[in-house]
Amino acid sequence: MTDTSTKVAVASQPAAQLDLSERDFRPIDWLAQRGIFVFTTVLILVAAVFIDGFASLANITDVFNRAAPIGIVAVGMTFVVISANYLDLSVVAQVATAAVVLIGVSNEYNIVAAMALSLVIALTYGLINGVAVGVFDANAVIVTLSTTFIGLGLLRWLTGGSIYFGPPESLIRSFGTTKIGPFPLSMLVLILMAVLLSLVLTRTNFGFLVRSYGSNRAATRLAGVNTAWVVIGAFMISAIGAMIGGFVLAAFSNTAVSSMSTGFDFEALAAIIVGGTSVFGGRGSVMRTLLGVVFVSVLTNIMVLSGLGFGYQQMAIGALIVTAVSIDALARKATLS
Amino acid sequence: MTAALELGSGESGDNLLARVRTVLGRRTEGRAVALLAVVAVVTAFLEPVVFTSYPVTLGRIALIGLVALGLTAVILMGELDLSVASTLAVSGVVMASIESLPLGIVAALLVGLMIGAANAFFVVAVGINSFIATLGMLFFLRGSAFVLSNEEPVRLANRDAGIAFGKPFLGPLTPRMLLFIGAFIALQVFVTRVRVGREFYAVGGNREAAYDAGIPVTRRIVTGFMISGFVAAMAGVINTLERTAADPTAGSTVLLASFAAAIVGGVLLTGGRGSIFGTLLGATSLGILQVALTLSGVQVDVQNIVIGLVLLLAVITDPNSVRGVVGSVRSLLQGRSRA
Amino acid sequence: MLLLGAVALAACGGDSDDGADGSDSEDVAGATADAEFEVYALLPQGNDQPYGTTYLPPMEAKAAELGLNLTITNSQYDADKQASECEVAVAAEPDLIILWPAVGDTVRPCLEAANDAGIPVTVTNSDVNPEDKDLTAAYSGPDTYGQGVASAEIFCDLAAGEDVGIIMVNGLTGNSTAIDREAGFEDTVNEQCPNVEILARQPGNWNKDDSQLAASEMITAVGAENIGGVYAADDTMVAGVIDALKARDIDPADLIVTSIGNTFLGNPLVLSGELDGTVFQSSSWDGENAATTAHEVLTGGADGDRVVKFMPSVKVTTDNAESPDVAPEW
Repeated sequence: MTDTSTKVAVASQPAAQLDLSERDFRPIDWLAQRGIFVFTTVLILVAAVFIDGFASLANITDVFNRAAPIGIVAVGMTFVVISANYLDLSVVAQVATAAVVLIGVSNEYNIVAAMALSLVIALTYGLINGVAVGVFDANAVIVTLSTTFIGLGLLRWLTGGSIYFGPPESLIRSFGTTKIGPFPLSMLVLILMAVLLSLVLTRTNFGFLVRSYGSNRAATRLAGVNTAWVVIGAFMISAIGAMIGGFVLAAFSNTAVSSMSTGFDFEALAAIIVGGTSVFGGRGSVMRTLLGVVFVSVLTNIMVLSGLGFGYQQMAIGALIVTAVSIDALARKATLS
Repeated sequence: MTAALELGSGESGDNLLARVRTVLGRRTEGRAVALLAVVAVVTAFLEPVVFTSYPVTLGRIALIGLVALGLTAVILMGELDLSVASTLAVSGVVMASIESLPLGIVAALLVGLMIGAANAFFVVAVGINSFIATLGMLFFLRGSAFVLSNEEPVRLANRDAGIAFGKPFLGPLTPRMLLFIGAFIALQVFVTRVRVGREFYAVGGNREAAYDAGIPVTRRIVTGFMISGFVAAMAGVINTLERTAADPTAGSTVLLASFAAAIVGGVLLTGGRGSIFGTLLGATSLGILQVALTLSGVQVDVQNIVIGLVLLLAVITDPNSVRGVVGSVRSLLQGRSRA
Repeated sequence: MLLLGAVALAACGGDSDDGADGSDSEDVAGATADAEFEVYALLPQGNDQPYGTTYLPPMEAKAAELGLNLTITNSQYDADKQASECEVAVAAEPDLIILWPAVGDTVRPCLEAANDAGIPVTVTNSDVNPEDKDLTAAYSGPDTYGQGVASAEIFCDLAAGEDVGIIMVNGLTGNSTAIDREAGFEDTVNEQCPNVEILARQPGNWNKDDSQLAASEMITAVGAENIGGVYAADDTMVAGVIDALKARDIDPADLIVTSIGNTFLGNPLVLSGELDGTVFQSSSWDGENAATTAHEVLTGGADGDRVVKFMPSVKVTTDNAESPDVAPEW
């Protein structure tokens, strides 16, 4: 079977299944994308008018600083979500490991060694998660939960859990402090990653396979596609995203500690699904995730600017996730009937 | 092991393999039984205290397992409830904030039911999927717990009642264990013997067919979420009583532990397959493992590595996984020959 | 199939055996001949937090020296998990339990259970509530509230009666150390220098990056020109605030900045004048004294009275930052 015929065979399968899965899973259609876009725009406009300082250059930088690390993790994890594997919990361990290795190994040896080691570790994570899920057909939630336990355990066991500080002058430091206009370099990395991964998802055969695998696993397998590699690839991309997210996070504060990425798993997932990517796989886009990240970051920023405490911030994020998605769902229902 | 050997022996084994498959296919608890057997045997040799002081182990199992039992009801229907840990925290805070203990308990349980109903409302009435709805509730309820408690632990007015609650009640069993056993029996009977509960499987297995068969799918989903909310609130009540205070940060390790117990117990995350009994086995294995590791005195980080490895091995040695490996190896080989 | 699982898991069980044996032999090697006392240490953190990382080794070294065979747990600040670990500890019938409460309000049942079983309990790092103290034999550790007080005293001195608006970065929301330090600072400021006004406050989660972001946003919220000072609940977070100020081209040396810790990150900031004052918290003092206090109680040196050893809350400013007495440890 040649690659082209594979593609055709697979393409026809999900299309045939579409009507059924519509009623089954109520996936969010294109309206959702427009919905979250409108929602984010309105939020930004309202904030710009009513909240002093929101539209200032410095504050825009803060929003970007909030968005960049979690966003880079989220655009990578989007592939796992689209492949219908729920989420990659192990990003928590991966981000922390990349950050600690970047600062720790750079201090001891040099940045090239640090990045090379990080890459090896990231690919190992991607491979283990991908093989366990793609080859052994194991549940992704438990697999990535296990690798989180193992990964954080190893990191803390081997490093003793120490906090690492970079020297006051270094390449990492200047990356963390350089801005182009209101854009910290990390935000440019996020945009670059989003564009690249978006192209991978929409323009490559691999991206196509991730989507078809996500919407109809059995059909994709029957079509003779080597599905193991599709899943491994998705987890590899998630791992690379988590690694770069860890780099950016470490560079921002010039410190690294194993607890710094707590909560990244569900925060990234929130951004992904607020963006409108279906958690049942198949449907979604990297650009939507980018939008979701901006939405959540703007929201958190507004809360802090308004002096609201942690409790209110969490309540607002929760309420707005549900509201935003509800509006989409109701709008979609209205169009259907 | 047998399955793996037969697969190695090639095409001739297909017939037997099919039979093995059917037998295995009927039960979902195989992995949990294997895990429990191994953990129990290894522990019996290395840390017999786990069994001689069984009330302690039972307490840990009840701690991990209670929320997981309620969660299983939702997962069986192919839905998810990520809000259980936050429900536990907020119901505890509500309970401790009310002066009268009985009123507080009632209020907390009502809060659990209401949260379940709210989750179900978003899923069935609004039409957003449960993963998103309950993720939103996870954040919202956690925030509510902090706001209601003013970001500090709330102490029970009647601490003595709480302390008494933590003491053995029936033989060596504390009320927590009795409630856990009670919840297990109730849910097990509900999903195996009661029609409404049995229909959970149909809703999760093939929702289209369930609709066609005239099962009131919407009502079942509402019931499921309310069970999950109620059980999580019950765990919040028990924790608050035993601790004599409600902590808004409570439950930080509950969500993932509950999912682990259910999935290790053979409950399929996409619904339709699994059992309450499987979740019990999953929670029991994890509870014994945790207590044994604590007693062993191994460094905490190493304990986490061991727990991670055991979980990973348990989940990749599932019958489904073995089939998956065979399929993938075949396709990998094909891929190579094609290249 | 069962067998397959069994074999696979036995391999894993083997791993855990190796781990256990390995650490046992290490303990024996590090200890004086054989351990005399079995001690459980129920901690809410360990290698997952920077403080715990530097608290543990001195504690373990001291324990080995004194013949205490430690079994350490880490509840990750989950009160329910710690309570369950306490039950395990009581069931294992050790000679003593060292407790670092995850949540102070929740430990009474654990203390009662230990008492009923005749196991003495010593408290480390964060003391239990006053009414629970009679159930414990000793406390050693910092006066967490007092640290907030000391940091506020430095602040009040420097404010010298002027009106100063400040932003405040606290620890992880709901965490008892965070709550106590915040209360200590705020109460003291209200009492001693009401001229200092807290304009905004946010949690920094004990992290530099979270603190840096929150501080930058608070600067936007209250206006840079209104800020005359900063208080952060630890040095890691104050370093984040200082970076946030610099990113806004505000010289931290022009503001009054205080915190708590005197860590590897904070001490140089004191020397450079960016951080005006901090309060020394010695993790090694804390860890070591957890072990020595436990040993004292075990060997009957306590005479039945509750032993209390407060870590001195030494104020560190440019005057003494180079002194070897306050050499940073974490």
